[in-house]
Amino acid sequence: MTRGHDGTFPVSRREFLALGALGLLGVSGNVPSWRRVPPQAQDSLPGTGPSGKLWDPSRAGRPFEPVRAADNDAAIQAIEKQIHCTCGCNLDVYTCRTTDFTCGTSPAMHRRVVALAEQGKTAQEILAAFVKQNGVSILMAPPKRGFNLAGYFVPSLVILIAGAILTLVLRRWSRAARPPTPSRVSSLSSAVAASPEELERLRRELDQLSS
Amino acid sequence: MLELVAGVLFATGVVWFVLRPIFRPALTGGAIGDAGDVDDGEDPEDDLSPRAVALRALKEIEFDRATGKLSDTDYDELKGKYTAAAVAALRTEMGNAGSGMRDAAASQTHPVSRIPQPACPMHGPRPEPAAVFCSECGRRLGAAPGYCARCGTVLEREAKYCHSCGARVAA
Amino acid sequence: MTILGGVCLWLAFLVGIWGALAGFVGGLQGRPDLQHSARHAVFAMCGALLVAVFSLEWALFQHDFNVEYVAAYTSRNLPIFYTWSALYAGQKGSLLFWATVLSLFGSLALLLTARRHRELLPYVAGVVCTVATFFISVMLFGQANPFHRLAYTPLDGNGLNPQLQNPGMVFHPPMLYLGYISITIPFAFAMAALISKRLDVDWLVAIRKWTLLSWLFLSIGICLGMWWAYVELGWGGYWAWDPVENASLLPWLTMTAFLHSVMIQEKRGMLKKWNLALIIGSWLLSIFGTFITRSGVISSVHSFTQSSVGYFFLFFLIAAAVASFAVYASRLPLLTAEARLESMVSREASFLFNNLLFVGIAFSVLWGTLFPILSELVQGTKVTVGPPFFNQVNIPLGLALLGLTGIGPLIAWRRASLPNLRRQFAVPVTAGVFTVLVLLVGGMRDLYAVMAIGLGGFVTATVVQEFGRGAGARHRQYGEAYPLALGRLLARNRRRYGGYIVHVGIVILFIAFAGMAFKTETEATLRPGEAATLRSPYGWTYRFTHLGVSQYDALNRQVTAAALEIERNGKRLGVLTTEKRQHVDGLGRPTFQPSTEVGIRSDLREDLYVVLAGLVNGTEQAVFRFTINPLVWWVWYGGMIVALGGLIVMWPGGGSPAVKRTQAGYAVRLVEDVKA
Repeated sequence: MTRGHDGTFPVSRREFLALGALGLLGVSGNVPSWRRVPPQAQDSLPGTGPSGKLWDPSRAGRPFEPVRAADNDAAIQAIEKQIHCTCGCNLDVYTCRTTDFTCGTSPAMHRRVVALAEQGKTAQEILAAFVKQNGVSILMAPPKRGFNLAGYFVPSLVILIAGAILTLVLRRWSRAARPPTPSRVSSLSSAVAASPEELERLRRELDQLSS
Repeated sequence: MLELVAGVLFATGVVWFVLRPIFRPALTGGAIGDAGDVDDGEDPEDDLSPRAVALRALKEIEFDRATGKLSDTDYDELKGKYTAAAVAALRTEMGNAGSGMRDAAASQTHPVSRIPQPACPMHGPRPEPAAVFCSECGRRLGAAPGYCARCGTVLEREAKYCHSCGARVAA
Repeated sequence: MTILGGVCLWLAFLVGIWGALAGFVGGLQGRPDLQHSARHAVFAMCGALLVAVFSLEWALFQHDFNVEYVAAYTSRNLPIFYTWSALYAGQKGSLLFWATVLSLFGSLALLLTARRHRELLPYVAGVVCTVATFFISVMLFGQANPFHRLAYTPLDGNGLNPQLQNPGMVFHPPMLYLGYISITIPFAFAMAALISKRLDVDWLVAIRKWTLLSWLFLSIGICLGMWWAYVELGWGGYWAWDPVENASLLPWLTMTAFLHSVMIQEKRGMLKKWNLALIIGSWLLSIFGTFITRSGVISSVHSFTQSSVGYFFLFFLIAAAVASFAVYASRLPLLTAEARLESMVSREASFLFNNLLFVGIAFSVLWGTLFPILSELVQGTKVTVGPPFFNQVNIPLGLALLGLTGIGPLIAWRRASLPNLRRQFAVPVTAGVFTVLVLLVGGMRDLYAVMAIGLGGFVTATVVQEFGRGAGARHRQYGEAYPLALGRLLARNRRRYGGYIVHVGIVILFIAFAGMAFKTETEATLRPGEAATLRSPYGWTYRFTHLGVSQYDALNRQVTAAALEIERNGKRLGVLTTEKRQHVDGLGRPTFQPSTEVGIRSDLREDLYVVLAGLVNGTEQAVFRFTINPLVWWVWYGGMIVALGGLIVMWPGGGSPAVKRTQAGYAVRLVEDVKA
């Protein structure tokens, strides 16, 4: 969380508690990472000019390739969002390659998607190629055919049927509970044939209830 | 080694604490929950006796009409219905109380409420020594033998619990 | 201290078995000595487990790396707060934490429960002992003893997973655990009521309060989890329909359903069977969640390492389900409704449909979570059920539920008639339609987003109207000034109006979720001095200028930080840093793979979310991912408002009798009306 540049103790106890409290309130976002610093020199490390060498590249994870146009291609991203990464992360390829930068699987799958797209294949064909190699489980959502249809429609069906049954039952209940008494209002006084003492007591009881 | 000794001592203490009620039942009183339990019955919403439910329904009907949710026809009809229900609940309690009094007079084996002083379920102990009803609200006082200490309902013979509110009755 | 810890685990195990036996036998045979002993057993188990937790924390803080758990999850240079939270960072420790908190809750339940529920308490003690003993037995017999010692002593431990080194992770798991664990208490009361056949209305009060507590913890835990996922995991989202996330959502859904339908039982004496089933179901779902998290049966990002522990949970889940539903089934004849529904158009009916949707969503989430297993069984092929599936099934259901959030409060309890309904719905429906029109004119074309925000407008108008008309009614009846009337309205009807505040929080959450439809992102490689631009959904152009990369050492990590200057439409906003962190142990050896620390700038409208993906060929040329996430802030606000509403609902106590009496104006009139 903290971007302390002092290099010694990155999270002081007080700062941590404050952060924790803020975090608990869910208001963390802009607190620690956002500092208004005056515009100044580009780099604090001496001896490194523009695009200088890192002191220790191994600390920054595996070396990266520069981004290519295909990496930002919305069509390719859309395809990758339908493909399940096989690294065990349970994410789609696009999310995995843009989130878990230690993963070697998702960039490889990304390269394969790009290569297939460069061969002029459509999205459907690319997905089919992946399914052919890895099985249906490579897709983020099962294809809508056969038993998988049950996967999609059983919940809605169950809810609809339950809703229909509920409506019927409710109708029956409410009909049963409402005997046909048209002159209900006129029978009010007879329904409440209570002695004045009883009504007085009722009044007192109602007094007790907070409103 | 010291740790093991501490563990054994702690274990002995725990076993003693757990088994004490079995070997020395006298120390712990009659039923579970006597010591230090709080009574959360102060929240009026927690009272779910038929009387309280009907009374709350009456309030709610009134409020729903005031906020325009209930039509006047429905309001009249529901008001009649729930007033009748409330009166019926009151009458049951009073009727039971009346017959209960006769029962209590006829038989000494009737259960006795466990609260010694005459006390109103809403207004606490009453100053009048032989009071049967609360001088503030007219409720039956709990101390009377044969009536529930909590809600004043007449108790059935040999009852261990009030059939109306579930409060426990002293043996 | 591990000897003491181990002794305490065994002690708690034996005491737990005794407590379960004494509780059930004592309750069934009506033996006060056994009942007392069961009660004491819960307290004793709590004490023993607390000592065990203390000894594990002692080992953690002493850096006793001979203890396997300490070596696996901490290192000498781990900040102390994370050393503390290592207690629940691993499988074994979290089992201990779970059992301890359960015994603590159990003790509280035994101490705080009102006198009149005392008939239930032996069974409550028995159920708590049974469940806690199960968790302890997993530790003792499932190779999950946190006090297990290694044959050698490593020089330093492995350290905590960097993703768990986040303040959100210090609070999120305990909150979620508190939610999961406290469900056991209402479940214990439900079982106690069923076993003792004391199935009148009184048990409901005890259950409702504990369920509310559990619901509140779970809500906070889920929101903190989303926050943690957002700021730490770096994919720019907060919910991915991961099985473990689903597992926390399931009991939340069924408990929310219960909190609604319980009102029908309180007011009308209906739905007893349904409410008991919901409580038992919620508890089973919480155990199911534990099973999913710990078994590795269903692949998930959250899983603890796979172990035999899963089978223990599966066995327990099945045994508990069979036992509790057997008791439930045998008591069904005692659970008859006292009243009937008066009208199809009533609050009761709307609550029933609300329950249908809550349970329906829970079912579809469960169905989706289990479908891979089902598919493998039925058609022999593995399938993946990811976010596209869940979104497709659940977004419409969620929107329908949001609609009901606005419809329900407008319908009177018991019955409603058409002219009144028209009067009630006029303003909210107008507000909703107006919102939709504004959005459409404003150029929003995402169907679900428009619906979510439009329904949000409808529900908000409903809540405002409810408060307004309620305050108006008080103003007319008691002559209270409007602010006072509003305050009293909330204070005197905490459950109703606190619930409405929860509804407002839910609306804000839905609108924030809708904002995610307009997420935009791009990747760019920048040399120092180069800039990338990104257009936000509000039409602004953000410009990110790469300033340079610096590397430095921090307490337990080596940091590679990239700084970016940000401009919006040419106006400078400030500097954002994003980091790569290589965590090291006390000897300077790297421990985990380098992790990413996201740079986030939040404001009320949108978040800038910058991730340093990596560096090209060991130079300062860096690969960044820039994301603009609209309205994310409102997820956290919505969560806070939900929690606030929950707290208002839970706030105990009624007013003093004197105050109550002065407020009874219309009640008096009511009875006199009838007399006349």
